[in-house]
Amino acid sequence: MNEHAAYVELRNINKHFKDFHATRDVNIAIPRGQLAALLGPSGSGKTTILRMIAGLEQPDSGEILIGGRVVNNVPGSERGIGFVFQNYALFRYMTVFDNIAFGLRVKKAPETAIRERVTELLGLIGCSGLENRYPSQLSGGQRQRVAFARALAPNPQILLLDEPFAAIDAKVRLELRTWLREMITRLHITSIFVTHDQDEAIEVADEIIVTNKGRVEQTGSPQELYSHPSTPFVARFIGNSIPVKDYTRFRYFERFGPQTEAVLRPEFIGIFKKGEKLQYASSAEEGVVEDIIFRGSSLEIRVRLHDNLLSAIRSVNDPAIHVGEKVDVFIYRLFIIDGGRVTLAHNQSLKKESVVI
Amino acid sequence: MEPQTNSGPLKWTLITASAVFLSVFLLLPLAYIVATALRQGMDAYLAAITDKYTCKAAWLTIQATLWAVAVNTVFGIAAAWCLTKFAFRGKKIISTCIDLPVTVSPIIAGLIYLLTFGRQSFLYPYLDSWNIKIIFAVPGIVLATIFVTFPFISRELLPVLTAQGTDEEEAAALMGAGAFTIFRKVTLPHIKWALLYGVVLCTARAMGEFGAVSVLSGHLWGKTNTLPLYIELLYQGYDFTGAFAASSLLVVMAIIILALRLWLERRGSKELDIRK
Repeated sequence: MNEHAAYVELRNINKHFKDFHATRDVNIAIPRGQLAALLGPSGSGKTTILRMIAGLEQPDSGEILIGGRVVNNVPGSERGIGFVFQNYALFRYMTVFDNIAFGLRVKKAPETAIRERVTELLGLIGCSGLENRYPSQLSGGQRQRVAFARALAPNPQILLLDEPFAAIDAKVRLELRTWLREMITRLHITSIFVTHDQDEAIEVADEIIVTNKGRVEQTGSPQELYSHPSTPFVARFIGNSIPVKDYTRFRYFERFGPQTEAVLRPEFIGIFKKGEKLQYASSAEEGVVEDIIFRGSSLEIRVRLHDNLLSAIRSVNDPAIHVGEKVDVFIYRLFIIDGGRVTLAHNQSLKKESVVI
Repeated sequence: MEPQTNSGPLKWTLITASAVFLSVFLLLPLAYIVATALRQGMDAYLAAITDKYTCKAAWLTIQATLWAVAVNTVFGIAAAWCLTKFAFRGKKIISTCIDLPVTVSPIIAGLIYLLTFGRQSFLYPYLDSWNIKIIFAVPGIVLATIFVTFPFISRELLPVLTAQGTDEEEAAALMGAGAFTIFRKVTLPHIKWALLYGVVLCTARAMGEFGAVSVLSGHLWGKTNTLPLYIELLYQGYDFTGAFAASSLLVVMAIIILALRLWLERRGSKELDIRK
């Protein structure tokens, strides 16, 4: 079978909940072994898509294919999927062992095989010795791992995870992200997870499917989405976007179309102290620092320029800047929002100087 | 609210008020029942409670209670299950109907059955031709008892099932478990204590039922008299020893139920601590 052929595929899927159009003409194709993220704000239809793949919801129209076979009428339990619920949904009246063994017992596997598989999985998730605990006696991270093991126990072809990190505190979440990514890569299992946290999606997924208002806005690798957003929604949603009403007021940005709206990112902006050595000093503009936020490893500088409050990142090693100080602001590039399209525009002075050199 | 520890007078006033209230309304009458039952001596008391009709009345009460508990357990689980795990039209109507027996007077409940199954009902000729007797017979008493107790079990289960949500069931279903396995392995352990508690409440209410049963019973000695009905008959016949002796039986049954309830509450809350 072709390595790049879609393993999980959705074709023109529509789904309504009463009057609410939860999923609109969704087309998705995920190759075997890939780790994909469904990313979008709450209410964007991402969980509905996941639940339809699992067979927990039925689409109103369209086809769901797994391994090239239409599975619309195949019950979820026969689609070869493992599902990790948002709050794990561990069976609270069963021990960790019984939780992981549940799927195998339902399939009437021999008890010795069950014991072997559960022991193996407990080792894999680093929870050996916890088999007799109840879910309430585990930490959030352990519960997540047990839920993961329970989903994997019957050897599914596809792993679906609904907001897998939402219920865990920030510190453990970072560890678990890395852990989950390693696990899934090692097992080479096709996985789809739902998240509203772009950092999570960018860090964990091979491919991100951005959803908004029931539609798929854009599909691509994290790098693609980051550097080439194809719709205004993606440009605004990904990264710490700063909306700007009229980009033509910035120097060296020429008018492009009828509209003047644009989106900036902190990494598109340079902030320099007066007198600091700056290659493009002549083309920088003067702004006033309004706020400085200490981020630990860096500083976020908020500066006012032409009625726009811009944010930029400065290293803690750079010369200190104070609130109220006048600084040089240089904008390298920005995304121009032109109707339904997004165009990347570079500072014109960059071109000029490169010509001079 | 923080427990008040430093306002001594308020605390003692409240304690005294509660103690006086309980003594006057509960302990005094209970003591009076025992005293009256034993007034003519232990022999008379024993004779009264081993009386043929007393025993029959007690047995009928137990029978009606068992029926009510059995039927309402099945019905209660089914109703609570469908109301919490599925979305459908008319859900509110069913939910409201379940509460009806609590709001309707038991006498009216009795009358409804009397009209439905009695001589003036269009059903009567059919029932009569099949030789089925409901009114002024044991089935009527069982029916009335079921009616007045039917919200008890489902009302205990509803909040527990609502709080649990459907995730665990969905997880089990995705792993291929059938409906019965899901109920037995996932749902039942969760509602176990609430169910037992509902059974206890249902039992207590069924044993004490008077109004609806009174309408349907016909007061046939040794046939359709439950304990509460029998006690009233004895009392109106000026047999105070008999009436209070029979009452003491009912009191003992109530105390057993109360002890069961306490034990269940303890066990249930202990388990909740471990597996919340």
